[in-house]
Amino acid sequence: MTARAVQARSASVPIRVPAVASLALKRLFSPGDVNATVLGASSHAVWLLAGGEVVVVSTRDATRLPNSVEVAARSGAGLFDSVTHGESVVVGRNALEFGSFIVELVRWWDPRPALPSASISDVASAIRGLPHTVPAINSGVLRSALAAGSPDHLVGASAGLLGRGPGLTPEGDDVLAGALAAIRTLGTALGSRPALAMLDASQAALVDAANDRTTTFSAALISCAARGEVAAPAGIFLRALAGRGHVGSSHRDLLRVGHTSGPALAAGIVLGALSLIEPHATPNGGVQ
Amino acid sequence: MIARVEIHPGRYHDSVRLMQASKALQNVEGVTDALVAMATELNLSLLADMGFDMDAVADAGPNDLVLALRAENEGAIATAHLVLDDALTHKAAPSGGLDAPDPKTVGSAAAVGDANIALLSVPGEHAFVEAMEALESGRHVMIFSDNVPIEQEIILKTYGGDHGLLVMGPDCGTTIVNGIGLGFANAVQPGSVSMVGASGTGIQQMCALLDDAGIGVRHALGTGSRDLSEDVGAASTLQALQALDEDPATDLIAVISKPPAAPIAEKVRRAAETCGKPVVITFMGERTLEEGAGDVLAALGKPPAQYGSWPAANEDHRPGSVRGLFSGGTLSSEAQFVVAPILGEVGSREGGEGHTFVDYGDDEYTQGRAHPMIDQTVRIERLSAAARDETVGVILMDVVLGYGANANPATELAPFIEQAVTAGAAVVVSLCGTRGDPQGRDAQAEILNRAGASVFLSNAAAAREVARLATARTSA
Amino acid sequence: MSDLSNLLDTEPVVATAGTDLLAESIEQQGAEVIRTDWRPPEAGTEAALAALAADGRNTKANETAVARMLAVRPQFVDVSVARDVFPDMTPRTFFHAGPPLTWDRASGPMRGAIIGAMMYEGLADGPEDAEAKAMRGEIDLSPCHHHGAVGPMAGVTSPSMPVAVVADGAGDGVAYSTLNEGLGKVLRYGAFAPEAIDRLHWMDAVLGPVLSAVLQSRGPIDLQSLIAQALQMGDDGHNRNRAVTSLFLRELGGALVDGADAPVDQRADVFRFIDGNDHFMLNLVMAAGKLGSDAASDVPASSLVTVMARNGTDFGIRLSGTGDEWFVAPAPPVDGLYLGSFTEEDASPDIGDSTITETVGLGGFAMAAAPAIVGFVGGTAAGAVRRTLAMYEITLAEHPMYQIPMLEFRGTPVGIDAARVVRTGVLPQINTGVAGKVPGTGMVGAGLVEAPMECFAQAIRALAATLD
Repeated sequence: MTARAVQARSASVPIRVPAVASLALKRLFSPGDVNATVLGASSHAVWLLAGGEVVVVSTRDATRLPNSVEVAARSGAGLFDSVTHGESVVVGRNALEFGSFIVELVRWWDPRPALPSASISDVASAIRGLPHTVPAINSGVLRSALAAGSPDHLVGASAGLLGRGPGLTPEGDDVLAGALAAIRTLGTALGSRPALAMLDASQAALVDAANDRTTTFSAALISCAARGEVAAPAGIFLRALAGRGHVGSSHRDLLRVGHTSGPALAAGIVLGALSLIEPHATPNGGVQ
Repeated sequence: MIARVEIHPGRYHDSVRLMQASKALQNVEGVTDALVAMATELNLSLLADMGFDMDAVADAGPNDLVLALRAENEGAIATAHLVLDDALTHKAAPSGGLDAPDPKTVGSAAAVGDANIALLSVPGEHAFVEAMEALESGRHVMIFSDNVPIEQEIILKTYGGDHGLLVMGPDCGTTIVNGIGLGFANAVQPGSVSMVGASGTGIQQMCALLDDAGIGVRHALGTGSRDLSEDVGAASTLQALQALDEDPATDLIAVISKPPAAPIAEKVRRAAETCGKPVVITFMGERTLEEGAGDVLAALGKPPAQYGSWPAANEDHRPGSVRGLFSGGTLSSEAQFVVAPILGEVGSREGGEGHTFVDYGDDEYTQGRAHPMIDQTVRIERLSAAARDETVGVILMDVVLGYGANANPATELAPFIEQAVTAGAAVVVSLCGTRGDPQGRDAQAEILNRAGASVFLSNAAAAREVARLATARTSA
Repeated sequence: MSDLSNLLDTEPVVATAGTDLLAESIEQQGAEVIRTDWRPPEAGTEAALAALAADGRNTKANETAVARMLAVRPQFVDVSVARDVFPDMTPRTFFHAGPPLTWDRASGPMRGAIIGAMMYEGLADGPEDAEAKAMRGEIDLSPCHHHGAVGPMAGVTSPSMPVAVVADGAGDGVAYSTLNEGLGKVLRYGAFAPEAIDRLHWMDAVLGPVLSAVLQSRGPIDLQSLIAQALQMGDDGHNRNRAVTSLFLRELGGALVDGADAPVDQRADVFRFIDGNDHFMLNLVMAAGKLGSDAASDVPASSLVTVMARNGTDFGIRLSGTGDEWFVAPAPPVDGLYLGSFTEEDASPDIGDSTITETVGLGGFAMAAAPAIVGFVGGTAAGAVRRTLAMYEITLAEHPMYQIPMLEFRGTPVGIDAARVVRTGVLPQINTGVAGKVPGTGMVGAGLVEAPMECFAQAIRALAATLD
């Protein structure tokens, strides 16, 4: 879909654009139409509120998020130019109907990265090669909570991070999301049952806390992260940490995402990964 | 009546685009005959057969475009020219700004957008040079083209193997990577079953069966029809098998092919044994894809499946032989394999007596035409002929859906199926498609069924039905 | 064997060649496809192309050859006399532009230039005498290219002429060229009038020695640096040379004013001469190109085009991997703008070694840097850019030093691959001047011409034959 193609069509005939949607959105696209509202739009993305959920409709050159529908067009084609805040969009079985264009779902993608089984030494050596990135936000409490392995501490630590820092997704949210995603995905790849158990036990409370303390959009991403559903560049980085793919270049690509998002996500992922490979204190003070 | 023959030297278009253009010209009001084609020997003889003056094309060669028109008046000729220009206007490739010219080779195209796969459907004698260039620039290659010399296939696969690149083909009609189909492929649900196949239609049938059983597909790597020959030695099959074994997104691997020579079959089996994941091998001709699919389901801990079918409203039909009108060799061979033990010998050539299954995808029937999965003209003619032929009792046809195939095959076939059923023949359709296919699998099934055919999603099941109908009538 | 992770771990991005249906169905699935405007290769070259692709040495050989072409550092070090620098030059030897040529096949401007040179050397009393002697075979004709030299238009080089010496600052190579006479009644356009011959005498008596003295005084001049700057000032290195000539004059600068060991009036004449000739530096740019061309020669299995040259009758090319062999075809007509009342009727077939510039990434291959040239050769500015862009398809590299500002300083397309020419049907684009067919007429116009496909087809077949 090129800019010329977009302009060439008359206003009365809606353009049909093929798109691929995250499996995380499957529930939304069911028989029976749902009315959605546009929360915001840019050349790269449209944010919709549909059935209480935030859905992103993004272009091919934008970051693919776990709650997004990616259209087969680049931002330069100007597909979203006509979209306005508050506009109504009809979400059908396989389509999103905007005023002048229809997004047709032709495929699904899985936002959970497929990781190979990994060993602690695999992950450790992957992390060793990384440049040390320190997020602006203080994540010390989170680090301790993960080391302690306690669900309550984890929820407590999240309270200090949620909603903190600049960005559509506040920096603190991204660090937390990165850590949760690492525990879910790398934890599974490593077979770290205690860490996974901690996450399972705290998942509901974390999602509640997110809904209370931060933007709906960011809360959705945290909820995704706890389930191991991540933005595509984060997925590639996680897979590289597990031993498949190139750690250095996937880390660099993740750092480039967004303004603070990428570095914060990366820092959170590393934090989460470290907690999985370092021996940690049990609540009664022993070492596991 | 005005006749016009023109040569446009050095203007090249692929044969499918030219056939579409010819069709468009024939539809112009006032045009009685039209042909636009590259001036190959075959096309020039077609031109002569159409009664055009051959003097005008005396100097034309295979790289020249020839346009021949017969029309009622000059106005029609003028319109035809406009229609031709429109039909042959090249779609703009994405350019890097500043009106850059379109890439002329697959190597430079791949560089434009950093492609990781080159998909070649150029004439077979030219595929090797493009494929080598793609490999040398670090791209995997899928060669849809056939008629590529085997020596070239071996060179390509040797290079690919040495450089960690997969050569899919030559004569590879289907590949799926991460759910995206290249060539003729069906829409699949995301899943963790992957395939390696030397038969494109075999891959398609397996995808269809698994899809109906609710199983998604991750990758289906085509290897080309000759990969399991002794000369090629299963190079791509083994390479793909190993890669899928290491792919974290794959949990089970299905291998599909017609039966290879014993040493190659052994090689593949041994490689499968060293895989860490379950491998289900289906050498068609030893067993059916339905059986293979059954093993896949069992390995996944799923119950056996009952694949969808739409029985014909009326079972009565006249006695007679079975005529199979297939769009490709794989489903035809599988159907023969199923019916032969019950019905006896099945012929593969037209005009024979007794049961006959013909593959209309064969070169013999596709001169100057698109593949029967796209262009059903020849099979429709044969369907009508079978309907009129009192010695034919049962007609079996495959209809393959998916990307790349005919947009609405059922609607095209329906009137002719009705005719056949009215004439007294039973019609059975093996419908190869998935729920997500662009044609709408179930809608296609219903159209065929309403026209009087019994429809089966499993080719083996369709074949069994054919055997049942043929023997039931015989014993009546 | 590898894990094919760069295939399996991402959604495919597909480059297609062939049926558009396959590209369309990929797009229908919302995946990315890049189409190719593919066509079959030139008839009769299929087997040769397949042999090259199967052999496997061609790609590496081309990389080596083009790297050598780009590694030279041409320096203008001296001006000498032809008889002193060419070991094979006898008193009766005349070098000429283009592939080998015999008198009987030579065009008007070429004959005129040979006649003029014979008179200049004192080998003939007048034009009829010269012609008669030439027809009797009393002179030797040899391509400049065979002697490490190049010459624009007729390119006739004779024993007494001054020649520029261009040496490789990064290696041992040397290349030579005559000095540019200017426009009007000049030898290279086939003029043999007294003014043309008088000028030649002045050049060997004054121009040559003064330039030599200046170079001794200020040291060698880096030509590549001048050319690179000139490209960013609107020159193309073939038909527009005003900027590079101006820069050159500045380089001569102080040493020309004083410092050079030559009489002041001669130095003044030399200044005025160069100042009045916008094309003075063409010959030096050509010699710099010849240096790169020779450096890139003789790499086995390489399909790099090292020479494109015309002798007024034939267009000839050479490839790196086929040694000294020339591949010739009739010189094609020029699509151009004619000066004054001249028409195509007045035009001589394409002539000159100046296509050495296109061979090293200049001229037609740098038109996008010199869109103003369209006022000279015809067409539109946008068309000039498109012609350069089209050349990237058939070249092996992007020049590390010659950059085009309006293409975001992309290096010019350099290193023509004959295999790619034959595969794609894209022919090298040349900007050229047109000589009048009547000897001595001078320039009648300028325009665009494409190198003939036949040369490349022959060359590729010959290259394939060397592989066994």
